This record gives sequence, C-alpha cells and structure tokens, in this order.
Amino acid sequence: MARVRSQPTVRPGPMLSTAITVRNLTKKFSKPGTETQFTVLDDISLSVEEGKFVSIVGPSGCGKSTLLNIIAGIEPYDSGSVRVSPRRGTPMHEPRIGYVFQSPRLLNWLTAAGNIEFALEAQNVPGRQWQERVTRQLEMVGLGGQERNYPLKLSGGMRQRVAIARALAIEPDILLMDEPFSHLDAITARKMRFDLMEILSKAKPTILFVTHDLSEAVFLSDRIYMMKTNPARIFKEVAVDFSRPRKPEDPGLLDMEKNLVQEFFSVLEGTAR
Amino acid sequence: MTPRMRSVGLRAGSVIILLLVWWIAAKLMHDPDALPGPAAIAVTIAEDFVDPGPTGHSAIFHVALTLGRIFTAFAVSMLVGIAIGLTMGRSRLVEGALLAVIPLMLTIPTILMVFLAVMWFGFSEAGGLVAVMAVVTPYVAVNIFEGAKAMDKSLIDMGVAFKAQQPLLIRKVYLPQLTPYVFSAFRYAFGMTWKIVALAETFGLKFGIGYMFFFWFEQFNMVQVMAWIVMFVVLMLVLEYGVFARLESRAFAWRGSIAH
Repeated sequence: MARVRSQPTVRPGPMLSTAITVRNLTKKFSKPGTETQFTVLDDISLSVEEGKFVSIVGPSGCGKSTLLNIIAGIEPYDSGSVRVSPRRGTPMHEPRIGYVFQSPRLLNWLTAAGNIEFALEAQNVPGRQWQERVTRQLEMVGLGGQERNYPLKLSGGMRQRVAIARALAIEPDILLMDEPFSHLDAITARKMRFDLMEILSKAKPTILFVTHDLSEAVFLSDRIYMMKTNPARIFKEVAVDFSRPRKPEDPGLLDMEKNLVQEFFSVLEGTAR
Repeated sequence: MTPRMRSVGLRAGSVIILLLVWWIAAKLMHDPDALPGPAAIAVTIAEDFVDPGPTGHSAIFHVALTLGRIFTAFAVSMLVGIAIGLTMGRSRLVEGALLAVIPLMLTIPTILMVFLAVMWFGFSEAGGLVAVMAVVTPYVAVNIFEGAKAMDKSLIDMGVAFKAQQPLLIRKVYLPQLTPYVFSAFRYAFGMTWKIVALAETFGLKFGIGYMFFFWFEQFNMVQVMAWIVMFVVLMLVLEYGVFARLESRAFAWRGSIAH
C-alpha cells in the first residue's frame, strides 16, 4: 500500500475554527517478512476546536500514541487526511505543535533551561527571547529558580513539569499530550492535573490529550473520544459540559465516569467475542 | 572528609607504601646493581634530564619524541575508529562485513601485531603507527558502534516532533549519547597506545623512552633501566589522572558526582 503523505497538510485558513481535523485516517503496519498487514488505525475521524481540551480514551495498544505521532508529523500514514491549523488572529505561520510524552524525554546532559532552549532553537525562536521564555515557563509550571538544575537532580514530577514547560515555551498552536501523568504516583498525578488546569487557563492552547484513565479524561476535558481495539476505531464521542474549575469528587463527574466505564466494558467485551 | 579527599588519600597512601616496600627491599638486598633504591633512581632520572647521555640527547628529547608518537598514533586510531564505528551504526552492510572481521583482529596478540607491522613497514615511524592502529582501531570501532546502536530513539523522536533540524539533533541529541562510549574507548585506546609505542621503540624505532630501556638493558645497567621505566610510568599516570580523568568528570557533570 502506497504511503499517501508523511506530513500533515498545512492549510491555514482564517475562516476555520477547528485546530485539528482528522478525516478517515487509516494506518497499517506490515509484519516484517510477511505479507500480512494489521490495521493500527481504522478510519479515524475527529476534530478539535481551537482552545478546547479534547481527550482520546482507550485501552493500551489501541493506537492512541500512533495517532498523536501522525498528527505531530513524526509517523507516516496510509490514507485519509490530517490538518493542523495555526491559531486564528496570529500572523501566518507553520502550525506549532508542542508535544508532552508519557515519559519526560528530557536531554539529561542539558539543564532544565537547556532543555527548553533546545525546543526554542528547534523552532527558530530568536535567541534574545530565550531567557524570558525559559524563566516565564518554568515559573508557570512551578519550577521557578530551577533553570540550572540537571534533570537527574529533579523528581519524576518535576521532570514532567520541565517537559510541559518545554512544550509550552514554543507557544504552541496545539499541544499534544500522551498519558503525561501515567508514570507518576497517584498523589503527584492528581496535583499535576490541578496545576495543568491552572496553567492552561493562562496559556490557552488547543489540547489533544491521550489517556487510558477515564476519570482523568472526564476531569480535564471538554470532549472525549472513546477508542477500542480490533479494529482500532473511535466508537463514541461525548461532550463533558461541566463548568470549570472542577473538582474530581464532583458527583456529576463521578456519575459520568461510571457510565462511560460501563459502556467501555460492554464494547470491549463485544469485540473480544 | 569528602569522598574525593578519601580517594585521593587512598591513592597517595598506596603509592607511599609501594615506595616504602621498594626502599626496604633495596636495603635488605644491599646490591644497588640488582635492585637500586628509590633515591638512587630519583638521582639518575634528574641526571638523565640534564646530561645528553650516550645518545647525545637528554631525557627531555626522548620523552617529547615518545609523547609525540603516542599522541599521533592515538589521535589517528581514535578518529578512524570513530568513523568506522559510526558507519557501522548507519549501514547494515558495513556492520555485517566488519562484525565478522573485527573479532579476528582482536584475537591477534598485540606483540605479534607489532612484529607484523615492523616486518611490513620496517623500523620506521609508519611501522609504529600501523601497529597501534591495527590493535586500537577495531576496539574503538566496536565501542562506538555499540554506542550508535544504544542510541535512544525516543529522544530522537522528541527532537523531530519539535522540528529540530539535523545539525541541532547531532549536537544536542546524538553526540552527548555517544560521549560515554567515546570516553571508555578513549581510556582503553590510550592505555594500549602507550604500551605498543613503548614496545615498538624497544624493538626498533630510533630513540624514545622504549629505545632507552633497551639500550640500557643491553648494557646491563639496572639503575638506568629502572630510571626510564619510572619516568614512563609517572608520565602516563600524570596524563591518565591529571588530564583524562579531569576531562571526563567535566563532560559528565550532569550525572552528579561520579566515582573514580
């Protein structure tokens, strides 16, 4: 099968209010040495409106990370289309994509500031802006004054904060987050979710967030896409219409989570048979 | 007491004990021609640095010559080894071809390599250089190849996701991951290089520290033989701990403290 495109099409249009549009996206992997192909992503369509927080929830191995990688332009796909648009009201530019991975993926030989500067240099941000951006972003994620520390001297939670600061420092049009809190202990993760909400109320990028944790998705998102495996498809889309700031113990949220969990299990059992 | 002070103290202590054992042994043996004491050696070394001696050159000339040979051979073999290792990491074909040959090269005893090189290239500077390269380059290549293979792909993906271009990736992502492998190859390569250069000088190269060992060995002059050995050892220790260890701890500052 021919690879259609390896990069998302850039089509900035001021009339659009969607930041990410994915249409009928399909990706297959061929097993090495054989003709058999298996479908990683099967006819995925989704859209994320500018400034919204949208989550994709699914079991591990359902292709969520692959989907984010395709949107980020680091993995090719077979058919369909992916479009990422820059923020409206900004001068024309290639859409900037910030990426927060499951593990921090920091360069351990660079300081916290150095890691952020790496992203700034990659994005061709003029050097005279670096210091101000580094200081501001580290303060925003609660790491003011940690500029000169090396990642290995920081705790797991602090490292992930540096990774978030790195992604925000490039002033992204969209922010991709791939289970960013799943490697942290429950208490740190909870604190990080609160802080993320706080940070985002100031930075306001568009977010596509991937997780396997429904309570996390319900607490954070404006909208949720639910994904299943075999074949990897989106089977449901839910709006989460609760006002912010939210509390994780809010009975409405808990209710919603419970219903979605039940739905998930019935769908997953259906495919297992 | 800091761990660093303790390790320096420990090292100084063991050197002092060694000198003490040597001194006592020399006293007990009471035969300066068979086992001269540390003091006699120190005096001889000092004299060798001042007097031209039988070759018409003082020790400064021989030391400088040997150091020049060591650094040339070392630099050439490191560079060639790194280039080969990186090529192996990039190309399956080269990897397959060289992984079959390199173990063969590594099994040939070092001293035979020196003989072979001398037989092919004669007692010339080229002979010494080839001997070092034949032994050291395969080892460096394998090390760097391991480093290239162990490269963390997730960090490269991170760089690409942030749209880093190739030069930035090389500077900040690839090279720092190779540094530990370069240093470990560096240590071994340097150790092998000075041993082989000393051997080659002993067997045939004109002048240099190894040449002087052999010259005095043929005269059965134990005091001078030991003086030149001590000179050589001190020189290598100074380079090893004074220069390389320092470079290494600076390169790995991000790891926090590392033990030496």
